[in-house]
Amino acid sequence: MSNFIYLIPTLLVLFGAIALLFMSMYEKISVKSHIFVSSLFLIAALVFALLNANTLYSVQPYESFFNNVLTFDTFSNFFNILLILGTLLTILIGEHYLQHRSYFKGEFFSILLFALFGMMVLAQANELITAFIALEIASFSVYIMVGYNSDDSKRVEAIFKYLVLGAFIGTFFLLGLVLVFGSVSSTNLSDIYSYIMTNSSENLELLYIGLTLILFTFLFKIAAFPFQSWVLDIYRGAPMIITAYMASTFKIAIFSFFLRLILDYIAPIIDFWDTVLEVVIILTLLFGTWLAITQDIVKRMLAASSIVHTGYLLLAFIALSYTNGEIVNMDAAYSIMFYLIAYLVSALGAFGLASHIISETNIKVTFDDFKGLAKQRPFLAAMMTIFMLSLAGIPGTIGFIGKVYVFTEALKAGYVALAVFAIFATIVSMYYYLRLIAVMYFYPPKEECISEDFNDSRVSTYAILFVAILTIVGGIGSAVVFFIPVLNIDTLINFAQLAVKSLFL
Amino acid sequence: MSADILSFIIFLPAIVALGLMITTRDVNTIRNIAFLTTTVILALVLKLYLEFEPSSGMQFVTNVIWIETYGINYYIGLDGISLTILMMIAILIPTSYLLLWEGKTKGYWINMLLVQSGVTGALLSLDVILFYFFWEVMLLPVFLMIGQYGFGNKVFTTIKVTVYTMAGSLLMLVAILYLGVAHHNEFGIWSFSYDKLMQISTLEYNTKVWLFLAFLIAFAIKIPLFPLHTWIMETYKNAPTGAVFLLSSIMAKLGVYAVLRFMIPLFPEVYIEFSTWFVIIGLFGLVYFGIAALMQDDIKRMFAYSSASHLSFIAAGIFSLNSYGINGALYLIIAHAIATGALFLLVGLMQEQTGFKTIKDLGGIAKKAPIFTFVFAVMLFANVGLPGTNGFVSELLIIFGVFNFNIYLGIVAALSVIIGASYMLWMFQRAILQDRPEGSAELKMRDLKIKEIVGLVPWVVLVFVMGFYPEVFIDKFEPTVTHYLQDILQIGATR
Repeated sequence: MSNFIYLIPTLLVLFGAIALLFMSMYEKISVKSHIFVSSLFLIAALVFALLNANTLYSVQPYESFFNNVLTFDTFSNFFNILLILGTLLTILIGEHYLQHRSYFKGEFFSILLFALFGMMVLAQANELITAFIALEIASFSVYIMVGYNSDDSKRVEAIFKYLVLGAFIGTFFLLGLVLVFGSVSSTNLSDIYSYIMTNSSENLELLYIGLTLILFTFLFKIAAFPFQSWVLDIYRGAPMIITAYMASTFKIAIFSFFLRLILDYIAPIIDFWDTVLEVVIILTLLFGTWLAITQDIVKRMLAASSIVHTGYLLLAFIALSYTNGEIVNMDAAYSIMFYLIAYLVSALGAFGLASHIISETNIKVTFDDFKGLAKQRPFLAAMMTIFMLSLAGIPGTIGFIGKVYVFTEALKAGYVALAVFAIFATIVSMYYYLRLIAVMYFYPPKEECISEDFNDSRVSTYAILFVAILTIVGGIGSAVVFFIPVLNIDTLINFAQLAVKSLFL
Repeated sequence: MSADILSFIIFLPAIVALGLMITTRDVNTIRNIAFLTTTVILALVLKLYLEFEPSSGMQFVTNVIWIETYGINYYIGLDGISLTILMMIAILIPTSYLLLWEGKTKGYWINMLLVQSGVTGALLSLDVILFYFFWEVMLLPVFLMIGQYGFGNKVFTTIKVTVYTMAGSLLMLVAILYLGVAHHNEFGIWSFSYDKLMQISTLEYNTKVWLFLAFLIAFAIKIPLFPLHTWIMETYKNAPTGAVFLLSSIMAKLGVYAVLRFMIPLFPEVYIEFSTWFVIIGLFGLVYFGIAALMQDDIKRMFAYSSASHLSFIAAGIFSLNSYGINGALYLIIAHAIATGALFLLVGLMQEQTGFKTIKDLGGIAKKAPIFTFVFAVMLFANVGLPGTNGFVSELLIIFGVFNFNIYLGIVAALSVIIGASYMLWMFQRAILQDRPEGSAELKMRDLKIKEIVGLVPWVVLVFVMGFYPEVFIDKFEPTVTHYLQDILQIGATR
């Protein structure tokens, strides 16, 4: 029975998805009730996941039944919390957007929960085939959601590009998996680990090739160079709220599995990729930055800047190096996890806020359209400013702390030149983030963009406010409220430490 | 209790500002509340000034853990050097309110309060990350001020100045993190307190030079030193008076202060090794900016160059390796803040009323506004360094310092002061004293109001008191400087 507790969040999400599927058969049930029901399931799942947040455990429940393909530990639970929270906030922020777009029907929420289910299984996968299936469940759900926007002529391009490229890159994972199986004769992660430990480097060649192919999939999904080219068009064509979801939550799911893979199982051979990763990081930062400064459409700018953030995350990845039987720089793993949280809240906030604004006016697309937003809607402009500052890594926001951690770890591992390079990317990023703040505050609104009758007291607004508060509290932490125990920066790091510890139980 | 005063001084303006943001009161109430807040702070700082004991080191220290995992603390304190600058900020800001009194919107005053919080926080921080936090945060309100209330191509200016200054700071951030990592590698624990970082002994000399330069770029952009000054022209021209005042009188001084507080103690041997170069760069800046100022027609730009010129002189004093130079530099920080601050505000008033920007359009002000002219003249003389004013004392000290450092450079320093006198007096003659040419447009200019006079009186008094009785002030920070310098030279020589 005790094992069952750990399964509850995943099962709740799955049942939620199925329940919503049935609900969507009835046309009469409004989008609003779908939002309500899916939020209810997600909140329940979140509560159950939070119950185990602070306990250290690692179990493989019902081993005979699941055949050891799933691991439930603090690590997966940590990521599950983030994923559920990300999905929940996506729905709540998108509340208005989802209701005002006729193409969002009931089944959308079912698909969203299926995507979440796939991601959660991915975070818990203990075996490559399971990971692949989970990844594809999540990916296919996202493919469908990308194509939802029937108002936008770009959607066909977006969905086809994503579907074809995604399926193509998925086969790399499969091929890699086959090669790994060919050398290890098992796809279980712990078998791979023991194979690495017992064999000399000549026998590992096939494994190296296999894992490198799997790494390709990873790089594609997180949009690192040279697989970054899909991001702009697909993020542009997808409904805004799905873009938010892809940029923040989906990315976390990808990281959860690969972080587990690298930290726990293939750590002895991670140094093999160092040179490749160095090149990848430099080019990712370079291309991301270049794309971001050349965009005129805010959504594309945010999409391009997400590539730059991928570069920062990879910087922390490379700081994990392995000698004498253990990972030297385990702190880098915490910095990755912290940065993921930081990026989750900032990106979700930024994309979500943009979608909230778009849901009413439909014309806030380019930088110019955002002119004068501070006069029209000071509250939303202030929130947007907070998210931009956080993405840019200005002190006082969670993004700054995330950057400090990542850069510290990179420096600690000796990658001074890379860190300096990343700092130059940050300097340029100031330009495109501040530009949005500047247009919001310093120009009068464009005439065709002025619209009256805003009503800001709705769920989306409060959800955005909540995310903004998280962004600030995560950046200042206990500095302002010294003697009041709040969820401060150290608590988050402690959670990450506990989660990583559970990997080695 | 008195230890908490510092935190109170830092956060009061920010808290008031946040409160004012939510209220829907009219601009007069908001300005009055903001002004009241700054006077409360002035009173508290006066109390601190009296309680401060000149001989001892850091006082009123608060050290609370902020981010435990990385050893980042909320660590603030005060010594003779920071006290002097704190005093200066506390006096300058409320009086500047009096001169900026009219025709401003709510956001203006809220931003002014936020800047005060940021500046004071940066000044009192003893933890480098905390310092960085405030250092960046204080720039954001200025960003908004320039963008909202500036002139000309203000948006471009805003983004340029922000990216430019933040670029420098980010390089500093890498250096800070590098130091933290070095501390961790040597002692096994994380710390970013400046006194802990000073104990690092494992860094190689070359690495230190790089770190030193990273810090220097951040501070030199703010000061601004040649050749990192290119942002100031546009900014000072397009920014509203309040922002120019804050940038030139207060933030630039913080750049100098940060050199003293962090750079020199952390890398004493590099400081000693490179001092000749920096004295030369400082003196070059003095001459270069002086000549540039001489050629300006736009009155605000002229002051921008003049300000940069004096700040280069301050930098030369700091790098002269002796207590004359450093004391003089600190004294000039105050003197320059008062004189330049007042001049920028007065020019702002002049520009608002006449609508003229260039020197040749002006003229005939002396007849229309005698009190204005008097105050303007006093500040101008202080800026030029006429005997009896605070500018004289400080320039003399710096020149002594540079003479002690190197006799030839001393001669250069002494001679280049003349440039400052010439452009200032020439401008004064053309813009203020000289009659307007026949047939030119009527000059709309009123004299100072009572409120503005009240605001300026303490400055005028300070100019002369500091000029005639420098001991009263120097005694407060002189012991700190002497100790500081002894330590630096000793550490620098032994390494």
